Amino acid sequence: MIYEEKHVWSILLRLYHWSLVIALIALTVTGFYINAPWTQTTLEGTGLYPVQTMRNIHGLAGYLFTAAILARLFLLLFGNRQERIMSMLPLTRRNFRNMINAVRAYLYMHDDYTEVRLGHNILAGTSYILTFIIALFQITSGFYLRLPENTFWQNWGVTFFGNQQYARFIHHLLMWYFIIFTVVHLYLVIWNELKHRDGLISSILSGNKFRLRKLK
Amino acid sequence: MTDTAQSTDLKLQVDRRGFLKGCTMVAAALGISEAMIPKLVEAATSAQRPPVIWLHFQECTGCTESLLRASHPDIGRLILDIISLDYHETVMAAAGHQAEKSLHDTLDKYAGKFLCVVEGAIPTKDKGIYCKIAGRTAVDILAEVAPKAAAIIAIGSCATYGGIQAAEPNPTGAKGVQDLVSGTPVINIPGCPPNPISFMGTVLHYLTFNRLPVTDNLGRPLFAYGRRIHDHCERRAHFDEGRFAEEFGDFGHRNGYCLYKVGCKGPETFSNCPSARFNDVDVWPVSVGHGCIGCTEPNFWDTMTPFYERLPNVKIPGIGTVTDIDSAGKTILGVAAAAVGIHAAIGIGKKVIKGCGCKNETKES
Repeated sequence: MIYEEKHVWSILLRLYHWSLVIALIALTVTGFYINAPWTQTTLEGTGLYPVQTMRNIHGLAGYLFTAAILARLFLLLFGNRQERIMSMLPLTRRNFRNMINAVRAYLYMHDDYTEVRLGHNILAGTSYILTFIIALFQITSGFYLRLPENTFWQNWGVTFFGNQQYARFIHHLLMWYFIIFTVVHLYLVIWNELKHRDGLISSILSGNKFRLRKLK
Repeated sequence: MTDTAQSTDLKLQVDRRGFLKGCTMVAAALGISEAMIPKLVEAATSAQRPPVIWLHFQECTGCTESLLRASHPDIGRLILDIISLDYHETVMAAAGHQAEKSLHDTLDKYAGKFLCVVEGAIPTKDKGIYCKIAGRTAVDILAEVAPKAAAIIAIGSCATYGGIQAAEPNPTGAKGVQDLVSGTPVINIPGCPPNPISFMGTVLHYLTFNRLPVTDNLGRPLFAYGRRIHDHCERRAHFDEGRFAEEFGDFGHRNGYCLYKVGCKGPETFSNCPSARFNDVDVWPVSVGHGCIGCTEPNFWDTMTPFYERLPNVKIPGIGTVTDIDSAGKTILGVAAAAVGIHAAIGIGKKVIKGCGCKNETKES
């Protein structure tokens, strides 16, 4: 069998992916802390500012997260063939069939996961679009909580969440979505890597996948 | 103080010193220059006292109480002094038909000129029969008065966002004024009760500048509700430094540490409580060791509860409160992890039985 190397993920997409990883880890750790900070000290005049520091890191990671999501938005519209929104959603007949096919493969209903696409399978693509939308809500609630007096974020925050407390509630709830998403994502990546030797995991580092050359 | 222990009658006049003091307090609350104080005074002393109709609907009269029984007599009396309170069920001398006549006289005589203050929510369910005054429903009264008013000031959380009546399941269909009135400008002074100074500031702003103060997008004047409590709380340093009251009565609580962990809603609530404070003795909930409950925010009975927890509990429509948010998250995470485990086990099991090796799989593209 002869494999050929194909370029799949642009450098921006890979940067987006790893920025998101770093941001999500930092945001989750500091987020849990901010929700339930432990009593750091009963001494006064120490000047450690642990809560303030954690909030600063959270804010910084929030900006990284936002930048990553904006990069993904750009790629959804102007990225390469694998990265565009139309190759991620079941909106064409071919894509819809691919999605059904992926669902059946994940349910072990068949082994010939035949239509090997270079990019995401449509089930994964759809879940990434869902995650993208959830990330937008996360960004909106996050900025609304962080910049409450800013008219722009106030408008969106009040429209979507009603008040700050509910925004905080949704913000916390959606954090759990990202934790669970990470677990499922890691599992399915490993699962796919074992099923298809096309270099899925290394592709998010190198940008390239391998596919069988057509034998004629 | 102009008040004395000897004066037992409700004296509606206030002396000049107290009057200027009150105007100065209001100017400070409004955040306007001291150079504007003479203008405030001028507006407050002008011969035409604006007629005010004060409507009481579904409420506890706590807003009126807080206004009238403020230990600082200047504010309460100043209000009664500079406005002509033509209809107010709690303080008016008239009763029955006389009271209703007074209401209608004002409506006819000052149409388009009077200020309408609404205290309390308006029940709308079952044609509004849950609140009736003089045989008419609150909905009807508001519908008659509101279009004729120059502006409406909704005072208290009930009149602004429905308050406790509108809390789940809202049996009477209670609503705030802004949901029922269109065409007449409405300004919201939420709070349970609101600080009299916020109400006073709004009235004086209206009299001085002939327009209502600038509001946020929940209709609250920015001078009083423009800043988050947490951001100008006197305990903020303890928050940043990681000093918390873990429970009521513990070391941290007794030492005045941050009340974040016992459910203070200061980080979610907009109000001038930390700076304006209450009752002329410079107190507000957090200063006396109780967390903010978020009473100036919309639907705070639903969204700010439980009052002693940081976040609301997870509710499922039709079932009700299930659990707290992190337990819910952990449960779903556990289910997801279990599903992943089962999925992997099936895959391995299938491979063991079938002996299918994917290396030999032929792919075509």
